[in-house]
Amino acid sequence: MIENQSLDFVKQLFFLMHDYHLGYIYKGIFTQDVTDTILSLTENKLEKQEESSKTKKRVYNILVEALQNVTRHQASDVEIDPQHDSLFLIQKMNNRYVITTGNIAQTKNIPYLQSLIDKINTLNKDELKEYYKTVLEEGSISDKGGAGLGLIDMARKAGNKLIYKFVPLSGDLSYFYLCTVPIVEEDVQGQNIGISEFHFVEKIHAILNKENLSIINNGPFNQESLLTLLNSLEGQMTGSISHKKKVFYIVVEMLQNIIKHGYIPQEGYDKDVIPGIFLLGFNKNYYRILTGNFIENEQLITLKKKIDKVNALTKEEIDDFYNDSLFNFEGANSKKTGLGMIDIRLKSGFPVQYDILPINNQYSFLSLQSLIAVE
Amino acid sequence: MLEPLVIQKQEDTPSVILNKEEGAFEIGHRSLPENAIAFYEPVLNWLNEYKNNPLPKTIFNFKLEYFNTASAKQLAKVLLVLQELAQTNDVLIRWHYLKDDADMHSSGLRFSKLLKIPFEFIEM
Repeated sequence: MIENQSLDFVKQLFFLMHDYHLGYIYKGIFTQDVTDTILSLTENKLEKQEESSKTKKRVYNILVEALQNVTRHQASDVEIDPQHDSLFLIQKMNNRYVITTGNIAQTKNIPYLQSLIDKINTLNKDELKEYYKTVLEEGSISDKGGAGLGLIDMARKAGNKLIYKFVPLSGDLSYFYLCTVPIVEEDVQGQNIGISEFHFVEKIHAILNKENLSIINNGPFNQESLLTLLNSLEGQMTGSISHKKKVFYIVVEMLQNIIKHGYIPQEGYDKDVIPGIFLLGFNKNYYRILTGNFIENEQLITLKKKIDKVNALTKEEIDDFYNDSLFNFEGANSKKTGLGMIDIRLKSGFPVQYDILPINNQYSFLSLQSLIAVE
Repeated sequence: MLEPLVIQKQEDTPSVILNKEEGAFEIGHRSLPENAIAFYEPVLNWLNEYKNNPLPKTIFNFKLEYFNTASAKQLAKVLLVLQELAQTNDVLIRWHYLKDDADMHSSGLRFSKLLKIPFEFIEM
């Protein structure tokens, strides 16, 4: 069953994320650690892209609010049904950040939520302030106040309308997608900058659910972002130290593989940023660590040979192969150690799975998967 | 006298102390640089120089919490220099590993099996 899993979804997700300029997606349980991680990852990206401090602050404030909302309203049975997991996505489209969250809602509460958001969307800045006060007072007598306040606050901080969609699930539950586009300095206050399409969010969400994926990071792949990602995994992973470290070892080798061998297509990609995707998923039995990136066709033959070789070896044979390669400095250079794939196979204990999609006669898209058994 | 080589740890590179006068030899923290060859070049240069005029006894401490495969090969080179030194002088490798870190322990065991230098294993 493990051997024959299709990795087609890696490529699918990569292109979806590329086309819609998505940077980071998280699906799962939102804890304080997870929230902190997402904030620091985003802060890092904002820092790198040298946004004006006003924009940075605005985006950051919305993030805090959105993450608080999604944490507060996550289903209580998320540990049982991953389909009920909350969701977070961040996109950068036309110089604006688009923040989308998703969570379970009781279908019976939808009319209230819908009318609330519709009302919020008709109000200007001052009216929102007034309305906030009214709901705050009402909140003391009804438990709906909490949700209302969060939404009004988001609209106030974003300076823009809220975009939403409800999708019915089984039973009396629905999935509630909420999207905010904080206005940036050059925008006119109150102007409606909406993206009213959720189809790609739903498409991605469906893949995440089907494949049990939790974290997706869409580059950029360099040493710096690798370190940020490693720090973030520390907060998001559970398990013993040695188990966490196994995941670490494999993540480092797989990402440094992209950094060293990733190819940048000439058209449609930034010249100095290696495009790629990193995915982490888990179910009861395995952690799944996946990467996807472009690679030059001439490198593929060597790579395929290497993976096929390590996959065919027994544990003892891999060990010997590792020892031989460790002290073999012939032909090794800063880009090629000859050890990476052997180490991944050794630490994982499972075959390394790959999938190659030829793009043209120069390069292809490579998906890799490594599994680690849950303790 | 060979000048000491001291490198402060960074997020992805180890701390290095190579001090002949004080008899202190240590590589610690974690090592996952993108270009391990460049990082370890001065370390190897220093050790090759030291090898020509060493102390009667060299105790080399590895206190690593984590290293990538690119670093593994460079550590292998470091250990090979120490193995050469061990042919004429006393050399002891003290391989420290964090309690419960089976991977770091077995990395040390691997090196000790492949090399002809005495290793001592110490739980941190």
